[in-house]
Amino acid sequence: MASPPAARSGPSPLVPLGYLTCAAVAFVAAAMGIGWLAPDLAGHYYHPRLLALTHTVTLGWITLAIMGASYQLVPIVLGRPVWSERLARWQLGILTVAVVGMVAHFYLGTWPGLAAAAGLLAVGIGLHLLNVGLGLRGFTQWTFTARMVMLGYGGLALTTLFGLTLATNRVRPFLPGELFPTLHAHVHLALLGWMTPMILGVAARVYPMFLLAPVPGRWASRLQLWGLGLGLPAVVLGLVGVPGLLVPGALAAATAAMGHAWWVLEVARGRKRPGLDWGLRFSLTATVFLLPAVVLGVALAADLLSGPRVALAYAVVALGGWVSLTIVGMMLKIVPFLVWYRAFGPRAGRERVPTLADLSWPRLEGTAYVFLTAGVALLAVALLVGDVAAIRAAAAVLTLGALAFALVIVRILGHLSPRFQKTPAALVA
Amino acid sequence: MTVSREQVTEALREVFDPELGLSVVDLGLIYGIHVDAGRVRVEMTLTTQGCPLHDSMTGWVRQAVATVPGVADVEVVLTFEPPWTPERMGQGARP
Repeated sequence: MASPPAARSGPSPLVPLGYLTCAAVAFVAAAMGIGWLAPDLAGHYYHPRLLALTHTVTLGWITLAIMGASYQLVPIVLGRPVWSERLARWQLGILTVAVVGMVAHFYLGTWPGLAAAAGLLAVGIGLHLLNVGLGLRGFTQWTFTARMVMLGYGGLALTTLFGLTLATNRVRPFLPGELFPTLHAHVHLALLGWMTPMILGVAARVYPMFLLAPVPGRWASRLQLWGLGLGLPAVVLGLVGVPGLLVPGALAAATAAMGHAWWVLEVARGRKRPGLDWGLRFSLTATVFLLPAVVLGVALAADLLSGPRVALAYAVVALGGWVSLTIVGMMLKIVPFLVWYRAFGPRAGRERVPTLADLSWPRLEGTAYVFLTAGVALLAVALLVGDVAAIRAAAAVLTLGALAFALVIVRILGHLSPRFQKTPAALVA
Repeated sequence: MTVSREQVTEALREVFDPELGLSVVDLGLIYGIHVDAGRVRVEMTLTTQGCPLHDSMTGWVRQAVATVPGVADVEVVLTFEPPWTPERMGQGARP
C-alpha cells in the first residue's frame, strides 16, 4: 500500500477569490470597451486606446485570473504551499493599481505615467514570481504540468521585462530597429510564453480530473512541450532579428497547439462524467478556437495573410476565444469550489450540504456560454471585415455574455455571506 | 451495539464529492470497510493524487462514520494503490 503524499496546504480561499473577482471586473470592462472603441478597432491596432483595451484583457483579465487560479491550483498540482499569503494579498493591491494606471495612461497617451505604472506592474509580477519561487524551493518532481508552469513563469518574467523596455523606450527611445516586430515579439512572449504553457500545464491535471477520464498517451504531451519549447524562442527571435526562424517557430507552436487540441479531444471522448456542466463546455469549446488561431497565426508568420484586420482577428480568436473562454470555464469550476470550501466545507460529513452546482445559476451560465462564444466568433469576423456597425453588434453580444458571467460570479460569491450559509437545506432542496 | 458494514456504507453515501455531486461510494472511492466491534477502519482513495479535497475528504468520511450508532473509533486510511480509475464508478463499497 502506497503511503499518501504529504498534506497540501493551499492559501485561504479569499486570496485566489480576490484575484478572480478583480479579473472578472476587468473582463466586463474590456467587453464594454470593445463597443466603445469600435471605430478605432476598424482601423489599425497600434493606437493608444486600443493598447489600453489590449492590456485590460491581457493584464486585468487574463493575468490576474491565471495568478489567482495559480494560487489555488499550484499547491494542488505541484504539491507545494504558497510561501506567503500576506505577500499574495499585497501583490494583488500593487497589481491592481499598476494595471489601472497602465490602462489609464495608455488611454490618455501619457508615456511617462505609463512607464511608472509599468514599473509598478513589474514589482507586482516580481513579487508573484518570488512568492511562487520560494514555495517551490527544492522541487524535484518535473512532471509535464510542472515543466509547463515553470515555462509559464519564465515567459511571464520575460514578457514583463520586454514590456517594461517598450514603455521606457516610449519615454527615452533607445531600441534599435522597427517598432512593430518588437511589439509583436512582446505579444507572442505573453501568448506563447505565459498564457499558453499555464493553460496546457493546468489542463493536463484538471481536465481528466473534472471529466473523470483516463489520461491519453504521453506523445501528445511531448508534442506540446517540445512544440512550445522550440516554437516560443524561434518565434520571438524570428520577429526581433532572425527572420528565418519565424515560420519554423510558428509551425512548432502550431504543432503544440494541435497536440493540445487532440489531447483535449481524447480526454473528452474518454470521459465517464455523467453530463457536462457549463464550465466544462466553455473550456472544451475554447479549444475549438485554437484551429482558427493556428491558421491565422501561421498565415501571418508566412506572409500568406497580412494587415491589421487579420492581426486583430487573430488576437481575438487566440486571446478572446481560446484563452478567455478557457479561463471563463475554469473560473466557473474554481470560484464555486473556493466558496463552497469556505462556506460549507466545515459542515461536510456532519450534515447534508449543497453541491457546487447548487451555488451557481446554471441557466445564466448557459446564457453566458451562448453570448460569449457567439460574441467572440462574431467579433473576429467583424474585425476581418472592418465594419464599425458589425464590431458594435458583436461587442453588444459579448457584453451581454460578460454581464451574465459576472452575475453568475456575484451569485456564487454571495454564498460567502452568513445569510446564505445558514440555509443549506434550502439550497439542496 | 453491533455495527454493520451496511450501516457504515449508508453513512458514507452522505459524503459527496461537491464538484461531481456523487457520493464517495458511488464514485468507487471506498476500497474497504473493516468493522471490529465499535472500531471501524475505512480504506479509501481519491480520484487523483492532486485532488483539491485531499485534506478534507478523509475528515468528512471520519465524521460521517462517527455518526453511526455504536461506532467508538474511526480510522481512515488514504491510499493510491491501486490508483482510482473511472471504471470504478458505480462499483460501490467493496468488502
